[in-house]
Order: sequence, then structure tokens, then C-alpha cells
Amino acid sequence: MANTACFIIVSRNDIPIYEAEVGSAPKKEEAAHQHQFILHAALDIVQDLAWTTSAMFLKAVDRFNDLVVSVYVTAGHSRLMLLHDSRNEDGIKSFFQEVHELYVKILLNPLYLPGSRITSSHFDTKVRALARKYL
Amino acid sequence: MSLPSENKMDPVNSFLGRLLLEELTPVVMVLSTPLAEDACQKNGLNFVEMLLPFSLFNKIDVPVRTASDQPYRLQMFKLRLVYASDICQQNYEVDVVTNSTLALALVADTLTSDIQAAEEHLKKVVCDTSENTLPDLLSDPPQLETILNKSVSHLCPSWIQTFNKELIRTLSFSEHETFDHPVACLLVVSSKDEQPVNRFVDLFNTDRLPALLNDGAMDPKILKHYLLLHDNQDGTPENSVAYFHSHQKTSASLSHEIARFLDVDDLNGIRDFMLDLASNHIIPHMEQKIRILNQQVSATRKGFRNQIKNLWWRKGKEEMPEAPNGPTYTFSSTESQIRVLGDYAFMLRDYELALSNFRLLSTDYKLDKAWKHYAGVQKMGSSGQRNATRCGLWWAEMLKARGQYKEAASVYFRISNEVPSLHAAVMLEQASYGYLLSSPPLLRKYGFHLILAGNCYYISEQRQHAIRAYRNTLCVYKGNAWTYITNHVHFNIGRWYAFLGMFDVAIKHMLEVLACSHQSLATQTIFLNDFFRVVQSMGKIFEVYKLQLPVINMASLKVFYEDTRTYASSADGAPSDDNANANALVKKVKEAIKLDLEFKNPLQISISVSGVSLICELSADSGATNFDNSVSETALHEDAEFRKPPSCRDPSDDSSLMLSKFDFVLKGGETKKIQLKVTPRVEGILKIVGVSWTLSDSVVGYRYFEFDTKKNKKGRKGARHSLQRNLNFIVIKGLPKLEGCIHHLPKKTFTGDLRLLMLELRNQSEYSVKSMKMKISHARFLIPGSSADLNLDFPRCLEKRISSASNDVPGNIMEKSRSLLFSFPNDASIQGGTTFMWPLWFHAGLRGSISFYVSVYYEMENSSDMTYRTLRMHYNLEVLPSLDVSFLITPCPSRLQEFLVHMDIMNRTSSETFCLNQLSCVDDRWEISTLPAYVPICPTQTLSAGQALSCFFKLKDCRRTNKERNLSVQGSDVPLGPQGSNKVLIDISRSPLVDFHFHERYHQGKMVQGSPSIVDFILISSILGGSNGFLAFLFSSITSKSPIWWLMDGPRMINHDFATSFCEVSVCVTIRNCSETSASIRLATFDILPAADQISDVFQPSDPSGNQGGWHDASLVDEIKVISDVQASHPRKPSSESISPYVWCGASSTQLKLEPACTAEVPLRICVFTPGTCDLSNYELHWKLQPSEEGLGDDVKRWSSADGLPFGASAASVFQPEDSFGPHERFTPNLEEYVCPILSNDNLASTAFDLKLGNYI
Repeated sequence: MANTACFIIVSRNDIPIYEAEVGSAPKKEEAAHQHQFILHAALDIVQDLAWTTSAMFLKAVDRFNDLVVSVYVTAGHSRLMLLHDSRNEDGIKSFFQEVHELYVKILLNPLYLPGSRITSSHFDTKVRALARKYL
Repeated sequence: MSLPSENKMDPVNSFLGRLLLEELTPVVMVLSTPLAEDACQKNGLNFVEMLLPFSLFNKIDVPVRTASDQPYRLQMFKLRLVYASDICQQNYEVDVVTNSTLALALVADTLTSDIQAAEEHLKKVVCDTSENTLPDLLSDPPQLETILNKSVSHLCPSWIQTFNKELIRTLSFSEHETFDHPVACLLVVSSKDEQPVNRFVDLFNTDRLPALLNDGAMDPKILKHYLLLHDNQDGTPENSVAYFHSHQKTSASLSHEIARFLDVDDLNGIRDFMLDLASNHIIPHMEQKIRILNQQVSATRKGFRNQIKNLWWRKGKEEMPEAPNGPTYTFSSTESQIRVLGDYAFMLRDYELALSNFRLLSTDYKLDKAWKHYAGVQKMGSSGQRNATRCGLWWAEMLKARGQYKEAASVYFRISNEVPSLHAAVMLEQASYGYLLSSPPLLRKYGFHLILAGNCYYISEQRQHAIRAYRNTLCVYKGNAWTYITNHVHFNIGRWYAFLGMFDVAIKHMLEVLACSHQSLATQTIFLNDFFRVVQSMGKIFEVYKLQLPVINMASLKVFYEDTRTYASSADGAPSDDNANANALVKKVKEAIKLDLEFKNPLQISISVSGVSLICELSADSGATNFDNSVSETALHEDAEFRKPPSCRDPSDDSSLMLSKFDFVLKGGETKKIQLKVTPRVEGILKIVGVSWTLSDSVVGYRYFEFDTKKNKKGRKGARHSLQRNLNFIVIKGLPKLEGCIHHLPKKTFTGDLRLLMLELRNQSEYSVKSMKMKISHARFLIPGSSADLNLDFPRCLEKRISSASNDVPGNIMEKSRSLLFSFPNDASIQGGTTFMWPLWFHAGLRGSISFYVSVYYEMENSSDMTYRTLRMHYNLEVLPSLDVSFLITPCPSRLQEFLVHMDIMNRTSSETFCLNQLSCVDDRWEISTLPAYVPICPTQTLSAGQALSCFFKLKDCRRTNKERNLSVQGSDVPLGPQGSNKVLIDISRSPLVDFHFHERYHQGKMVQGSPSIVDFILISSILGGSNGFLAFLFSSITSKSPIWWLMDGPRMINHDFATSFCEVSVCVTIRNCSETSASIRLATFDILPAADQISDVFQPSDPSGNQGGWHDASLVDEIKVISDVQASHPRKPSSESISPYVWCGASSTQLKLEPACTAEVPLRICVFTPGTCDLSNYELHWKLQPSEEGLGDDVKRWSSADGLPFGASAASVFQPEDSFGPHERFTPNLEEYVCPILSNDNLASTAFDLKLGNYI
């Protein structure tokens, strides 16, 4: 499992709808906004890159020092972004795919308003379990 | 690869071009004597500074011919004048770098004091500008559009370019590039110096020369130019000139003398001198050198042969360990010569030549190709960080010049990783501009790098710059949901502003982070503490519009006010939403308007909120007529006023308003609903505009209630609209107001609970009120008593007194309660300041949650604008189930006019035990009694939780025949308590019970009083060990709806010796007319049932197979189901037996007429031939009710008929007593045995009679 990993789902309106620190490193106060900064800045890169390929998994699109941003863009242009320091690309890809599946299930919930924050605790548990499994 | 000369941009306009012109120009080393410097100091300048303005030639227009034969003209030219000592200083540092070139590990901590000096210089550049930016920081942060529209030059502040230049300058004079190597040397001696010529020689003493010249990196044989400085004040120039000329022949080159005390002539002289120096000496010198070097280089390197040779040679060289000390390349080495050649050519704008030389050189130096255009000979990595920085800067500039801003930004970012924080900050800021300028603009990257830059600025204690950087990101992060980012930015800006002492701006930013519910507890604490510290250091109460803490739920806004409607408690009523008349929003002076608002603390730490109060405006005058106008006018002004803090509003009339203030503490995550009050004291128009509060005694937050005016115009009936109206009130003169409550009203009670309550009305004004009326929503639960009830001792007052005369119940009570509007006695008026009590009877008639309303109407004694008001009270009540009681009434099979009452009681409570006290029958025509041989039902006479009980009573219809019955109720009662107990019975004919009974019936829709078939029971019970209250249950039960009752009676058992003769039995049918009209009745007996249609069209035999006389199954299937069950249980002979065991004798048909409530007996006889049980059911009773007004109607359909019901007589040795239902049978499980038909069909009635005949032996 990666030391640092910050997973975030950004809606098509560039609003984070799900955030989770899934790294094994102890959580630092400073990290939260730093991770947001890096991921937010990486959106600029994703914005360009997303239209150059038909693949959903964009691999590592941006980096900041030793932290790498991997992105997975869904068909609805929601972006699953992972900030990590590990190099396990296959694991990340699997992680993204399975989270995407979970995300689609969330979308199927008639009570979920697309673009709103995901508050399902079940989703959270599952994502963290996937993070432990793949990252 | 693009050539530099291909860059078509005007060199003067682009930064890069200017940088090239200004930085890559020949250096002239200046050596001067102290006296010469003194002479210059008279002008406040040193020598270099004096010449500086004239070292730039915009139009020098000098022909140049370098390696190629074709001359060209040089237009713009610049000389850099540098003191030799400066070169030394810079060089010292570079030497260190050089010496450790191979170590590659030079880091910032090896920087010498010289570098620190350089750092100081850079810092000064930054600091100077930061002071300039201070006024900017006070203005609003820039908007995104303005940033995007800004041109490149505006975006990148000029000081950054200065910084870049300075940074590059600190890195100059390195050994491996010759741009900064002095081309010429200017030796300056003052005319006051002794022996000027000797001084010249001394000046160019190798000891004082820069290390570059001494250690061999540079050719020490450079062009020397001697200058004699003469000050006109010290003597005539002629002397000096003469003196100087005398020594001229010793000079190696031409010398000039200029003497002046800076006037126009002097300036011209300097300019001429510089021009001469440049065009006549330096440029030709460089031309010459280029030509010489070019020849050398061509000889050694150019050509195919040389290249091959060189390749072999290079290979060998690379394997050689490089010398640890001293430069690798001295001035005499080929590489160095090429380099010098290239640089010189470059400086003279012969780019072709320069490029070709750089290309040649680059293969030698093995450099990154991308770097080669300008800084191509830098050795990235091998010459230390600072050179890398410098090189990076060049590279970035180059990328920018070509429009590749994004790449330039990433170069800047890379530089920033390597350099101290201040440099890094500047680099990062430039990187951010790079992202901004790239197309499309990468705004988020821009923001991020600005934040990074701001951080670095902050680390290097450049707070102004830090703030500036952060502020510029605001437009990027504005209104985005990345909460951690926005919090970080706002909080840091706020903090840094606070450092600078600009507390108001600091607070403005800190306010943004207050509602940070997503942050951790520690962060929240930091945010709040810092905020309060800043606020405190500001030293005054700060007023904040829309303070985010606590969060106010505007949707929870609820207004309570009273006009003609007043309310007893705050929970009553809602903000007025009806009332088409807007002017009705009238308020009385001295009466409070209440307003509910919810406050929520989003944080995990508790906050204290104090002084919560409304912001109101009370404009005196402007009567009700222009009320509407004022509303629309104020709506226009509202926008402007909304930004004004409450203190700016005129605090003029503190006396006219009384505002309630609330203090409370909100724990983490807590929500509290606060009721705010405003009480106007003078007449006028009161406007509630907002709410203000104080957070932790330091910050005043205020918020105005906002109305969407656009929506108002669209949908006039919108909720907002009414709210806006509801916040404007007309305040009129004081009026009396009643306050009221109901005492002793329980919140929870059991079904049937009967209580005496007290209504208390207080008049707190000085005026009196009159003509009070009251209306109660649920008359079934609450009825007003009479003044006589005021001092009653409940429940004793209800007990039956011996002398109780039913006459003391006023007959008009019924009428009163029927109208459901209760008028208090006419003389009842409440004087000012007094209290009025009135009794109310309460009876919980129905289980469930009941909410009932009581309105009291009253009129003013001194009628003014408002003649009446109403007081509204609202109570919620939960009625729990207590006893479930059901009655079943069956006609007594053996008696006319008598019924058996079966009462089932079930205790539905979980813990209470009930005592049964009394069962009463309303309406005096019924007489209820216990059955004979009555044994107490259970010894204790209590019913514990969950227990069920069945009781049986006898009900007798003792209706009097006379019709003038008294309407008042005089029922009969059965005490249920233990026998012998002296419990006094409750008088059910007294006021509350009668009234409740009436409402109960009213509610059940059985208004027909005295209907013969309905019996109403009242069961009185009490809770064991409970208070002295009791429960009363009111029930109605239907006895029978048949108008004609009949009963066949006769001997039940006869012993007869059939051997002698057949048996003759007399039976008798008693017929009673229970209806209100007379009836004609016909009784027919027959041995074989006649066809149905012969008698009546109505009568349809349900079971044709049963239409036989004798022992047949008299089917009543269509009449009631219960009967068939009974029949099924009867042992019967099969109906196939054809011979009837008996025959009717005597009159086969009897007709008679019965007056209402009359009884007639019809004797009948049968002859029985065999022993057994006879079913005497083959008779028919037909009746016809005569409409009272029509007399004997001939409507055939009014004829009703009924089959005779099974009347069996069994042959048994023991004759059963007539009343066969002894108490011992009460608990027979099969209750249906006793159930006599309760007919659903109005026309059919039934009785049963079985005759049993036994063979007499």
C-alpha cells in the first residue's frame, strides 16, 4: 500500500464530490490542502489530455515533486483522481475500474442527484477496501 | 533548431531582446585612482555611474566587418562598464564554483559572504518593490477577466525582470563563457594625481587585476585605454593637457582627457568620449580579434580533416581525468578561442558566425542541444546550481520569446527547486505567469504556482509579496468547492494581513474560513483562535455582514405577531399567510412581535453567541394609507442599505423600540431555535430588517432578511412576498389584550377521562373587555361549564344526591352546546389588570392525538380602530386507550320488552388497574339491572392490565305510553362495585355528562333522540389508586329495529301418554307494536307453507326446499348468519320425513290492529301425535305499519311478513324454568347459543320457540 494516496472524485463541474485519504501514512494536517492543490492544478492537464485519447485511464498525468497524479475519466466526464507516490500502475488501473463500477452504482440510485456529494458510507467503505487491495 | 537571427521580433520590444542587448555586450573594465573617484564624487556619482548614461548607443551606425568579407552596420550598441574590483568579487565566488566543478556537489551552504552580499542585493530588489505594492494590497483583489486580459508586460511585473537581470548579473564573469570577460580596460587617473603616467602603470598592476586575467582563463593582453580626468575647478585644462601631452608618447594607446564639472559641455564631452571609445577602439579591436581567431580556428578545426582529427582527439581527452585544480580550458586552448570568437561575434551581432562557432563548440562540450542558442556553452550540472539557474533563466526567456509559455513555466518550476526560497518564489511566480499566458490559460496551474510562490515569499519573509501572490489566486479559487484550498488561501491571507497590521482586510479574509465544518478539530481551533486574536488586536468591535458563524437557517424564519388575533402561547399560530389586506399587519404598541430563527454551529467546538437581537426601523408617522407605497419604496432602497452595518443605521430612537437580547452557547454541531422579540413603544411603521449578534464578545455579525424582489414581481403570491410584507408592521395605539390558559389540562390522559378544568383569562392592559364569546373546536372533548361549576368539588359534585332534582339543570344548556358557540354571561367583562376564571369540562372521548383550538372573542370597551380581538389557544393532547367496552344486546328469548346485555370490557393499558363503578343507562325508558342470582363478577371488582371481562345485564323497556316524556335524562344505574360498598352513584343526568352524551351522539350521527331501538350506556370507572377523577364511557347500542315484536310462549315440556290420545297443546303468541304508528297484523298458521307470492310481493322465500311444514329446517339464512349456526347445532330430524308430527288447530289466520306500544295476545293450539320435539315455526306474521298521516295505506308493499321461527319443545322429564339463562351459564364459551337474531332486515323479526314433547311412559 502506498504511503501517500489521496483519492478524489471530481464532478464534471470541477467540484469534488468524494474525497478520501487512503494512504497508509499517518494523516497530516498540512496534507489535506496540499493534496487538494495538486489535484486541483492537475485538472488543467486532464482537461487537455482527456480529449486526446479514447482510453478512460489516463495514467499519470501530472506530478509534483515525488507525488504523481493518476486520472481516470468516466464517460460523464467525472474524474477519478489519485495522488500517490507509488509506481504501481496496474494496481491503480484496477482500482480505478472498480471504483468506477461503484460510482456507477451510486449514479443508479434514484435518490442520488448527479454532481452532488457522495455521502454513502457503504461507498466509502468499499473504496477504502479497494485502496487497501490495489494500492 | 531555430537560429537566433531568425527571431523576427524586434529586439528592443521583447524582454529577451532587451536582455540580449543589455547583458550580452562587451565589458569594459574600469580601473581608477582614488583621486579620480573623488573628482567624480563631487557630482555624487562614481566614475562608472557617471559614464553609464552614455554607454548605450541607440544609433551608433558603425560599419563592422568580421570574418566574412561583407561589412554590415551596427545600429545599437552598448558598453558595460564594470570596476575591476567588481569583477574580482564576482569572480571569487565563481572561482569557488570552478574549483569544485568536478565535485558537482556545491550547494547553497557553501556560499560565501560574497554570495550573501549578492543575495542581499536581490533581496533589496524584492523589498523595494514590496513597498510599492503596499497600496495595491489595500485594493480589491483582481478579477479573473482583468488578469486574462492583461498583456504580457503588465502581467509580469517589471521588477521581476529586474530581478532576473540582477540574478544573471550575480552569476557573470565565469570562466567558461566570455560574454562577461572584459574586452577593454579603461584606466582613469585624475589630473591631480602625481605622475599620472606612473599611476597608469600602477593601475594595471596584475596584483589588482581580476583573477580571470591572472589564472589564465582570459587573455591578459587586452585593449587598454587611458583616461586623464581633470576637474576644471582645480585649474585650467590646458595645463593638464599640456602635461598630459608631454607624456603621451609613453602611452600604449591614445589617451583622452576630459575635464569638467558636469555642465552641458561636459555631458557632450562624455558622450563624445564614449562614442569614440566604442566606435573607434572597442569595435575595431573586436573585429580584429575575431578575424585573427577565425583564422586560427579555421586552421585547427574547420574542414573535414580537422573534424576527424578532432573526433579522435576528443575521444582520448574524455577518458583523461580532468585536472582537479584550475580551469580546464585556458584562454589559449582551442575551445576557449572558439568560444571567444563566438561570443565576440555574437556581441557584434554577427549571428551567423557566432552560431557556426557555437555549433562547433557544442559538439565539444557535449551539451544539451536545446540549450545551445544562447547559453549553449553552459555546462548544466557541472558548473553548479547557480549557473544552472542562469542558464534556466535564459532558456525560459527564450521559450517565452517563442510563445512556449507552458514549457517556460515548467523550466521556472525546475529552477525553483534548486534555489533558495526567495529566488524560488520569484521563479515560481514567473512559472505561474507562464501558465497563465499559455494558450489556453492553465488557470489552476497558475493558481497553484502562485500559492507555492506565496509560500516561498512567506518563508523568505516577504509578506507583502506573499499576500500579493495569494490574493491573485483568489480569482481562480473563488467560489469553488475545494474547501481545503479556499480555507488555506483565505486563512493565510488573513494571517499575513494581520502581520502587516491591516486588520480589517485580515478579518475580511478570515471570515471566509469560519464555517469550516469539514476541517479537523485542531484546524478549527486554530482558525477560530487566530480570528479572535486578530479581532482583538484590532481593538474595536468589528461588524461583519453575513458572519458565517453561527449559521442562520433563513428558512426557519417565522414571525408571530398579533393583530385582532392573539395567541396564548408562542407555539400557536403561524406567520400570517392569509389576510388579503396587507394593511392588516397591525401591531399594538407595547405588544411584542416575535420572530423565530434557527442558529446552527457547524463547528466541533462550542461557540458563544451573545446579544442576539433584531434590527428594526421604526419610522414614526406615514399612516396606513401610504403603507403600500412605502413598502415598494423601501424595496428599492433595500439593496443599498443591505451593506450598511447596523451601527450605521440611526440609533436615534432607542426609546421607541424595545429589543430582546439573547445569549446562548452553541455546542459543536448544535442547532438552537431562538425567539427574538421587538416591542414598539410609539406608533408608526415598524420594519424588521435583520438580525445581529455578537460572536464570542468580539465580533458583531449582522444579517438582513433578504427578499428576492425579482420573484416578487413574477409571482405575487410567492412565499417570499408575503414574508416581506410580514416584516412591515403598522404600530397603533395600545389595546387591551387577553392572555389565557387552561389550567389542569393534562398532556396525556386515558380514554374516557372526565375532568373539571379552569380557563383563566388575564387582562393586563388598563382597558376592560366585554361581550366575550368562546368557541371550541372539539366540543366532544371540551365544553364550557356554567358559573355554578366554579367552586365545585369534583368529582363529588357529580354524585347522586338524594334530593337531586333534575330540574336544576337548565334546559338551555342543550341549546347552548348545540350552537357550539358559547357566550359568556352578558355581565362578564374583564376589567384591566384582573383575571377571569371559567370552568371547562373535559372528557377524553376518543383515543389518539387530539389538537384542539379554543378561541375567545372579546370586544373593546373603548372601541377604536379595532373593535374586537380574539385570543387563540391551542393544545395538543394524547389520549391513551384505557378500557375497550362493547355491548351486545339480544332480545330476551323468553320475555318481550326485555333484553340481555352482554358487556365485554378489556383493559388496554399496560399498567393501570381499573375499578368498575357503575353502569348507567341513559334515557329513563330503559331500566337496567343485574340478572337475578347475580354473583359478583370477580371478587375484587378491578380490572388489571390486559384483563378482559364479560358481564351480563338485563335491560327492560319500561317506556311509558304517554308521549309527554321529559327530555331530561333520568337513567337507571347498576352499581358494579363490590356488593355492600357504599359507593355513591354518579348522577348521569347532571350537566357535564349529559352534555358529553349529547355531543357523543351528535358525533356518531345518531341525533334521533328517543329512537326506540337505541340504548345509550354510560360506564363509570376509576383508576385504582389514582386520583379522584373517573372515567366515563359513553356507548350506544342498537337493540332491535323491528317495529313489531312477538313471542310465542307455551309449555316447554309436556308429558303425555300418546297411547290414549293425541296431545293438544295451547301456545300463545304475544305481539307488541314497538313502532310509533299503529300496525295491522295478521298471523297465519299453516301446515304446508303457502306459495310466497300469495301473501306478499315482498316476501321471497329464501329456501324453497324448506317450504314444508313439520320438522323442517326453518332457514333464515338470508336474514342473519348467526341463526344458521344455531340451527346447525340443533339436532333435527331430516326434513325428508313427510308426515308432520303436529297440526295446527283453531283459527288458521288472525288479524288484528295494534296501536303503538300496545300488546296483544293471540292464542294458538296444536295437536301433536307423536312424542318428540316439535318445531312450531310454520306460521307467518304479517304486519303493515300505517303511516300516521295517511291513515291506512293500501300500499301492499308495506306488508311485511315473517316466517314463524323455530319453536321447539323438547320432551324431557324436567321442566325448564322459564328464565333459562341462569348466571351459571354466563361463561359458556359458545356465546352464540344465546344470541337471538338481530335482524338486519327491517321487516323481519324473529323469536324462537322449541317445544319438546316426550313420550309419557
